[in-house]
Amino acid sequence: MQKLFTRLFPILLVLLLAGFVQAKTMKLAMDADPVSLDPHMQLSGGMLQYSHMVFDPLVRWTKETSIEGRLAEKWERKDEKTVRFFLKKGVKFHSGNELTAADVIWTVKRLKDSVDFKGIFEQFEIPVQVDKYTVDIITKVPYPLLINTATYIFPMDSQFYSGTDAKGTDKGVINKTGYSFANDNASGTGKYTVVERQQGVKVVFKEFKGYWDEASPGNVEEIVLTPIKNDATRVAALLSGDVDFIMPVPPQDMDRIEKASNVKLVTMSGTRIITLQLNQQRVEAFKNEKVRQAIVYAINNAGIAKKLMKGRATVGGQNSPNGYLGYNADLTPRYDLKKAKQLMKDAGYEKGFEISMIAPNNRYVNDEKIAEAAASMLGKIGIKVNLKTMPKAQYWDKFDEQVADVQMIGWHSDTEDTGNFFEFLLMCPNKETGYGQYNSGHYCNAEVDALTLAVQSETDDVKRTAMLKKMEKIAYDEAAFVPLHWQDLSWAGKTNLQIAPIVNVMNFPYFGDLVIE
Amino acid sequence: MMTFAGFKDSFLWYSFKRDKIAIISLLVLVLLVMVAVFAPLVAPYDPYDPEMIDIMNSEIPPVWEDGGEKAFVLGTDSQGRDMLSTMIYGMRVSLIIGFGAVALQAILGVFIGLFAGYHGGFLDSFFMRAADVQLSFSYLMVAIFMSAILQAIVGVARFGEIAVPFLILVIGFSQWPQYARTVRASVLAERNKEYVEAARVAGFPSAQIIIKQIFPNTLSPILVLSTIQVANAVMSEAALSFLGLGMPIDRPSLGSLINSGFEFIFSGAWWITALPGLLLVILVLSINMLGDFLRDVFNPKLYKG
Amino acid sequence: MIAFMIRRITQALIVIIIISIIGFAIKQSVGDPLRELMGISVSMEEREEFREKLGLNDPWYVQYGRFLGNAVKGDLGTSMFYKRPATEVILEKAPATLELVFVSSLIIIFLSVPLGIFSAIKPNSLLSRLLMGGSIVGVSIPVFLTAIMMVYVFSIKLGWLPSYGRGEVVMIGGWGTGLLTVDGWKHIIMPSIALSSIMLPLFIRLIRSEMMEVLESEYIKYAWAKGINKKRVWFVHAFKNTLLPVITVGGVQLGVTIAFTILTETVFQWQGLGFMFMEAVERSDAPLLVAYLMFVGIVMVGVNTIVDMIYGLVNPTVRIAGVK
Repeated sequence: MQKLFTRLFPILLVLLLAGFVQAKTMKLAMDADPVSLDPHMQLSGGMLQYSHMVFDPLVRWTKETSIEGRLAEKWERKDEKTVRFFLKKGVKFHSGNELTAADVIWTVKRLKDSVDFKGIFEQFEIPVQVDKYTVDIITKVPYPLLINTATYIFPMDSQFYSGTDAKGTDKGVINKTGYSFANDNASGTGKYTVVERQQGVKVVFKEFKGYWDEASPGNVEEIVLTPIKNDATRVAALLSGDVDFIMPVPPQDMDRIEKASNVKLVTMSGTRIITLQLNQQRVEAFKNEKVRQAIVYAINNAGIAKKLMKGRATVGGQNSPNGYLGYNADLTPRYDLKKAKQLMKDAGYEKGFEISMIAPNNRYVNDEKIAEAAASMLGKIGIKVNLKTMPKAQYWDKFDEQVADVQMIGWHSDTEDTGNFFEFLLMCPNKETGYGQYNSGHYCNAEVDALTLAVQSETDDVKRTAMLKKMEKIAYDEAAFVPLHWQDLSWAGKTNLQIAPIVNVMNFPYFGDLVIE
Repeated sequence: MMTFAGFKDSFLWYSFKRDKIAIISLLVLVLLVMVAVFAPLVAPYDPYDPEMIDIMNSEIPPVWEDGGEKAFVLGTDSQGRDMLSTMIYGMRVSLIIGFGAVALQAILGVFIGLFAGYHGGFLDSFFMRAADVQLSFSYLMVAIFMSAILQAIVGVARFGEIAVPFLILVIGFSQWPQYARTVRASVLAERNKEYVEAARVAGFPSAQIIIKQIFPNTLSPILVLSTIQVANAVMSEAALSFLGLGMPIDRPSLGSLINSGFEFIFSGAWWITALPGLLLVILVLSINMLGDFLRDVFNPKLYKG
Repeated sequence: MIAFMIRRITQALIVIIIISIIGFAIKQSVGDPLRELMGISVSMEEREEFREKLGLNDPWYVQYGRFLGNAVKGDLGTSMFYKRPATEVILEKAPATLELVFVSSLIIIFLSVPLGIFSAIKPNSLLSRLLMGGSIVGVSIPVFLTAIMMVYVFSIKLGWLPSYGRGEVVMIGGWGTGLLTVDGWKHIIMPSIALSSIMLPLFIRLIRSEMMEVLESEYIKYAWAKGINKKRVWFVHAFKNTLLPVITVGGVQLGVTIAFTILTETVFQWQGLGFMFMEAVERSDAPLLVAYLMFVGIVMVGVNTIVDMIYGLVNPTVRIAGVK
């Protein structure tokens, strides 16, 4: 074996080196790889990240959470319900087709058909073509978040995805559980094309030579994405030089990365709030506002943020992170064990009671440990918690069934707006309207509901802000839920990568703009 | 019956006295078991009592390292629990599961082995084929699938409470063939011996022959096998918990402790994984050493594999 | 021999049917695969509609019937996550696991045979005693602990070896091999050592005790008396006869090895069947789980059958028992 090996070695070496001739390759390690090549297959961070690489949106968020044009050169509001988008001319898809208004219309239609995105595009009509490069995007009702939502429109190559493939199925079809043309093939306007993909093992992206954005400073020609699920291994791969860039970075390793000389860490405070919901239908005591407050006071969320998150999280007292319209600076975190005990006493539950709690163990940063810590903190005010954690695939099912009295959920507003938190997490659950779909606490307040609905079509920002702040205040005072923290976003890479300019609060690093020195 | 005086004259005691490794192993094992049994008295803290856990104490290194504190001799884990106490309680859980699982396998296996071996025929071939099937599937896979079923039946929230009996069941059920085969082999060897023939001719019922005549002769292989199996069961439990299919995090066993520390080992908090790991190895090693000693003394014919 | 084979094959079929039933019984209870597939803001009705479309709402025996019907045609269902036939996914992942098992078998064979023989013929030498002591320590350290310690020392502290994945993989036909590149070999070193760490001591001890038993036997004594060359007695006469039990145990241990690949692959993120299995459990990818179970079942039954046959060839008494 040894002999054979030494003989083969020079040949192998040549073979290996041949692979590394072209410079500016970035080896990227993430916790997961895209589950499909079809951007509409799933609404998830991973898929949107992928979309930004292979497709391009009409508009996108900047680092300062303002909106900048991408495929849309400019846009103007025509009336309450309509925004006119002017597309860049001469933009080519990977297939060579040119981007036109028809592609945008086709894409919005497909979004409205997609199981995952149809909720977001519920308010949207089919867009109307003005001319070849101009399109009107129209909503059914006045919709202040139209532009925000346009960040989800990644025009797809309508010609490429039309017709039938070799198997005789429609190329445009979205299939979540089996073969579809779009799951395996992609043609977008993005900087990269997928040249090789082994699901769960690696994805190789190559620069698209006809890319439209020549102003971008980005110089990465090839990206090799390897999913490394285990946090510790991912960090080890970066430190040993096996990969150039990792995301996310586990908080417990951040110090070590900062200290290491060959790598650097970039963090940003995040907008995903981690909360616990107290099910008032399952537990009589949770109907008592004092008990809920006692729980909020008993949970040392500052301690969790400092110790479990290693200070890499912003401790929270409300849904909205700083910077959102609804962020209310008065709503500070409350931890006071004495007061918590007093509140339990006042509520008549001095002796405490026993409850169950569930949390995911691979969804949020340190979710399992946070749940464990919260459970033992509740123990201190006499609430005995039976905790069960599970992988996210099993978790959401149990969450919906509301099998436990306390359930963990983290929420990031898809629209970067405060109203979204309330629509999903705090409005009275209503099967018909779909509001309060993730309100497993059954918190229900008519005033909050009315306000949430009112802000949806309030286009005056000053009024909206006041309403949103009021909503946060009510939820805070009534201890509608237990806010824990907003987890920081984190990226780390070798020092020759200019990471800071390309990252943003949405957690989609724009790799197309990445500069490797 | 064996009296203490009889035991003192036995070959077992004689060999034991002369084997230093066996003596040390037994001492270590007895010490560990005692510590586990009297955990509430021995452990400095009660890791199940939330009053004693403060998140602000998390990840304190052992006392001999920089930043160690006297209050926590072996440091604390990421939740701020005292490592020493958590390990003691964790070992207790591991031992309960280990002994419980072995008791279950032994009862099942011995019973099946005795009757299948004595009666032969259809019953015998049925159970031995079942044993084949069972052995081709490792306990891990059996456990993974069973835990899925069980969680569906009892509901996830209750799972923590039944985790211990569940693991005993899984590990116990998946390893009975080892006993059945060993016992069956001894039964087959004994079945045709004269004293059994004599009892049969005298008209004793077969149950009585099996229990009174044959069973005592299978004891020494059972003893040897049991020692090895306790070590195996403790390791199996650790493996399951390591994969996140065993003990829940708030009632940790040694395996789940090792698992929960895994992500910290690279970031410098090595003690959260290394110390429970070391304890697990010492525990299993002492049991295995004793098993080795017993095997040398009794030299029974064990079913291999 | 034919009767023996028929019996063996019938047994194999029964085992596989049992496996398929077990796999199916749990199918409903491993969780809802849709949650992994859909974004979080998808409404309840949408999901319900989708379940209906996939036939997930049919009674289990209807689903089982459908499954069996397809299984006969070689179709074990479509993995919800990979969106490809489960058999295809398994065949794609199998080389990784097989290579891992292969390399660690090499380690086991090339170390356990000489070391086992040595400690049998020189039981009192220092090395033998060290080996015996070391092997008992070896069996007492769980595989995952060995794996973690190796990652800590060789990847984190020394930075010599990579800690995850298979490295550079070369495709030969449908078989992705990591054994043809330096990078691939670097990646396989630690996982294969970890995987062999439990089996190696077991085999050393087994070979030793079998060999010692054989050396005590009459015909070896006779061979000594005849004055046959020492080495010939040891390696030809004695060792040949220790092989039989070693092969048998090897067959049985395969099941255990497969379980240990789950642990090893989890720690090293080795992209094989074990890793895929744990991921499928987490993702509640039931078709893939059932297919994995079937695959492992078939491999196990196959290997056991082959072992039995070898045994039958070498040891004719088994065949006679089979004919009976």
